[in-house]
Amino acid sequence: MDGSKAGRWLKTGLATAAMLVASGTASAQAEGDGSFFDGFLGGVDVSIGGFIRVENAFQTGDENPFNQTGNIYNNQTVARLPGVPVPGSPALSFAVPNPLLADTTQRTGIETSNNWSNYHILRGEVETGIRLSNDLSLIGRMRAIYDPGYDDFNANSVDFDRGGITGGDRKLYRGNSPNYFEFRPEGKRHANPLELAGENYLVYLPSLFFDYNRGPLNLRVGNQQIAWGQALFFRVFDVANGLDLRRHSVLDYAQEEYADKRVPQLSIRAGYQITDEILADAYVAKFQPTIFGNPNTQYNIIPAQFTVQDRYGDFDDKFSYGLRLKANYGQWGFQGMAVRRYNPDGVFRWTKSNVDKDLPTNNPLGLTVHTLNGFESGQTLANTPFEASPGGVYSAEEWFEYAAMVRLDGVAGLNAAINDFAPATTNLLASEVNTFDQAHNQLDTFFIASGGSLRGHIERKYFQETVLGLGVSYVVEAEPGSPLDQLIINLETSYTPDRVFTGIDLGQNFENHDASVTALVMEKYQRFSQSFPATYFVFQAMHRNADDLFGRSLRGYGGSRTSTPDGVGSANYVVLAAQQPFPNDIYRAAFAVLYDPRGSILVQPGVKWKPRGSITVEAFYSYINGDLNGNPNDTLLSTASFADELTLRVAYQF
Amino acid sequence: MHIRRFDHDYGRRHFLKSVAAGVFGGGVLMPVWDAIANTGDPSKAYPDELLSIEGYTKGRINTGDEITADNVDLVKELLEPIKYQQIKTMGRRLKIVPTTRDIMRLSPWEYMEATLKNAGQARFDERGNIVTLQGKPWIGGTPFPNATSALELYAGLTMTWGRHDACMYAIREYDLSADGDVQFNYDCGWAELSPIGRVSMNPKPYLPGRENKLRYQSVFFTRPDSIKGTSFLNIWDYDQNTFPELYGYVSAFKRIRQFPTDQRFEPLIPGSTLYLSDAWAAGDPLYTWGNYRVVSRGPALSGVSGGWNAEHPNWEHKTHGGPKGKTFWDTQVEFVPEAVVIEAEPVKFPRAPVSKKRVWIDARTQLPIAMVSYDRRGEPYRSFDGAYGLYESGGKSFNDGAHPYWSWAHVHAFDIQTGRMTRLEQVREIAGHKTMVNDAVIYDRYLTNAALMRIGGSD
Repeated sequence: MDGSKAGRWLKTGLATAAMLVASGTASAQAEGDGSFFDGFLGGVDVSIGGFIRVENAFQTGDENPFNQTGNIYNNQTVARLPGVPVPGSPALSFAVPNPLLADTTQRTGIETSNNWSNYHILRGEVETGIRLSNDLSLIGRMRAIYDPGYDDFNANSVDFDRGGITGGDRKLYRGNSPNYFEFRPEGKRHANPLELAGENYLVYLPSLFFDYNRGPLNLRVGNQQIAWGQALFFRVFDVANGLDLRRHSVLDYAQEEYADKRVPQLSIRAGYQITDEILADAYVAKFQPTIFGNPNTQYNIIPAQFTVQDRYGDFDDKFSYGLRLKANYGQWGFQGMAVRRYNPDGVFRWTKSNVDKDLPTNNPLGLTVHTLNGFESGQTLANTPFEASPGGVYSAEEWFEYAAMVRLDGVAGLNAAINDFAPATTNLLASEVNTFDQAHNQLDTFFIASGGSLRGHIERKYFQETVLGLGVSYVVEAEPGSPLDQLIINLETSYTPDRVFTGIDLGQNFENHDASVTALVMEKYQRFSQSFPATYFVFQAMHRNADDLFGRSLRGYGGSRTSTPDGVGSANYVVLAAQQPFPNDIYRAAFAVLYDPRGSILVQPGVKWKPRGSITVEAFYSYINGDLNGNPNDTLLSTASFADELTLRVAYQF
Repeated sequence: MHIRRFDHDYGRRHFLKSVAAGVFGGGVLMPVWDAIANTGDPSKAYPDELLSIEGYTKGRINTGDEITADNVDLVKELLEPIKYQQIKTMGRRLKIVPTTRDIMRLSPWEYMEATLKNAGQARFDERGNIVTLQGKPWIGGTPFPNATSALELYAGLTMTWGRHDACMYAIREYDLSADGDVQFNYDCGWAELSPIGRVSMNPKPYLPGRENKLRYQSVFFTRPDSIKGTSFLNIWDYDQNTFPELYGYVSAFKRIRQFPTDQRFEPLIPGSTLYLSDAWAAGDPLYTWGNYRVVSRGPALSGVSGGWNAEHPNWEHKTHGGPKGKTFWDTQVEFVPEAVVIEAEPVKFPRAPVSKKRVWIDARTQLPIAMVSYDRRGEPYRSFDGAYGLYESGGKSFNDGAHPYWSWAHVHAFDIQTGRMTRLEQVREIAGHKTMVNDAVIYDRYLTNAALMRIGGSD
């Protein structure tokens, strides 16, 4: 779909939304019901409801290290030691250091911010249903979010350094503040149909579909989300939609799961109740990818030293489809699914920067390389994944630190950037190396040559895959009231043959593995007192053979500032959560723990208070420790360990 | 004209004596069901003092009067204790209307016809389930119209909740604080379908292939936004020793999930004082409760007619009483000649917050007219009283096929320990859902897993 088509979709959708809201309001005026509106428009039933909510996450942790203003090397002086290039000899190249050209560096002009809030937004949601006939309804939901911004990175503040950042989308990499909401793949406007976004606002229609029901058939056509499976938070069967990690990323109330995170897709979904026990559920959807936080936004996890070129524009005419069968037989339940989809998470690899910016000649290394390239080093660099600009990586130490943080191999990554982009890279005197020290020297050589830092360019691509899943559930019947009675056990597993992963070297060939994900879920409601409703407990365990919960290859685990990763064989996680409603459910206390036995934990206590039907107050604290057991890059949650925070949400609903 | 052959306390003495002897059989002068079967008028079974409020109070209260704090002591014995307290101390009022003598106006027409037709056909099988004399699932109507025990009464109550083959009730719920403020206000729907004992919808009396089920029932919420789409589906086994399967769609999870089948004493939504267990005063399978016994018999005042508010286009009711004038529905009651009070204990729910319940049942129709539950200390905990009616009033009517619809109209659920009140009313429609009766679409639209997904709305 080209931009103009998407624009028309957007306009159509928003116009429809406006119509929905207007019609609902008209109905409201007719009925005179101040809190909720329903009425009749020529025999057509209209209803409208929604809420307005203030959300604030008070920061008690650190600034996001993946952003410019949270970079752990800000204000740090780091020594750089270049090496001597020996082109064509991996064993010798840069093996010999060159202390004569050694220097020290800082991330010049980039200060660490000090925000009191990780996240503060105003959210409004409105849902309208129009019953067109006994069988047919039109349902629409509009979500609007405003984020006033933070003390964040101003790309123009580094314009003094080699002319500032040059490559990448202007609105993502060169603005005077981060772009909190726009999803901007290369050459693609309005990548999400029915969405209107700017730097500080987001308005979209997570739902706008016709719902047709006749007998056992239910058909939905339009923009929608699909949630499958029994496991909570762990996504095994929940594969139909990507996730929208803008806003609060995965750090919302854990027990809400991904309530507002699934990226809606233009879809046709058909449900058919074959028998009392068996339900078939199938969909065909226009492919929409997972949306990661933009550079320098609060919960971004792609280091801001990278420039991402998202190729979704080449895939926006693709489709995903799937079928699930679900059967319940008393204590037993079964489900199976087969999905053919484009993996919405996508994969990344080095790509040409296309930034023609010469190396500076005010240092011997830059001058040498620039001269050897006929005084056109910028043209050569444009054919490599790098641009000589500020806000990139300034030292080999930073390179390896951040490679480990994002579960990449700093040495293999360097070699892939060199080998996959030869002869441009070799023309710059870069060459494959064998050892960590050689890579260290070579990296420092080119950071010095660049006059400060190099920004790396990566592209995001998408691959088709088949996901097969099986699930079984069992409700234990024991002595009434005993601990095991009514324990609900669910086992779900999925298998994806030949799944494509981001290579830990960001190489052009990616990685392929057969991937399996298995989750065991045990749920139990238990009453401990007569006056308090039952406490809800859930225990979950997950096993993954190829990637972690964020979809990163496990081969990238275990690196550090001083070493390359040795990888891990599998990832296992445990969740323990509980909810305790108070009498009449006016208050509800909750507690959730996500534990990675390799050494990290998320603990999230919270409380929900409903003083009145129209008011809801929620508070929860997220404590994340990614350093329980040695190397934090050997465990999942170190990636988010900066984000300790107290979140408060106050909603008025109607 | 009814000839006065008995003194004023004859009925009272009869009730006391029969309860003390452990004998139950509705009626004083003759079995009430015999009177109904012979004439359609249950009054033949009762002496004069049990036929009208005037007779009972010797004219001190008359039809058309209001029961208020000033005169409630005259009828204290006609009221369950919490309702008496509500009138005495909280400003509740009841308006007295004439006692209905036509039994066909006190339940759905086809149901009463089936009760008459199938009388004597029911028995318990070896597992205690109601079957026909041939051992088949029940074929319709009240199974034991001449019930002789608390268990027979309660078995019928559990089996035939709404007395229609299928219903979808559009409901408005109001949850009030002890201060009388409406804190929570919900729109919800409650659907029931009986695959056995069908008397109106084809195929009758069974839905082929589903004879092993007693009931499909769902409850779902459509407003406010925070609760929208939350729904629960119960599938009842015919065997009353088995817990229903319970599935739920919870807004926070955005998908259907299986729930423990014993989750019947938990608030479904914030602010509500209702449990699944409370439905029709018989919300759980028969043998998950036990020790059924008759604890008293006697006349009562109850809203068994006139509950429908035809004047409001959406059938909504007016309120009065309580600190803010919003705590109680305006309610019409009539003099009921005989209510049987049954007590039962939640034997299969060792962690339930209630220790027992007492249910007032109209001996003529075997409909529940009030319930009081007690906490584990034996203290009164919550009370329920409802109003029924034929949906025919002032020249308007809402028909169930060939006859005016009969159903419940409104319910009070009151937590006497906290002072919180939940009021429910059946309305013509909530957003997108209308009250329906005996409509074949009810099953597919409300009573399957696919239906729960659809009701989940935009999620």
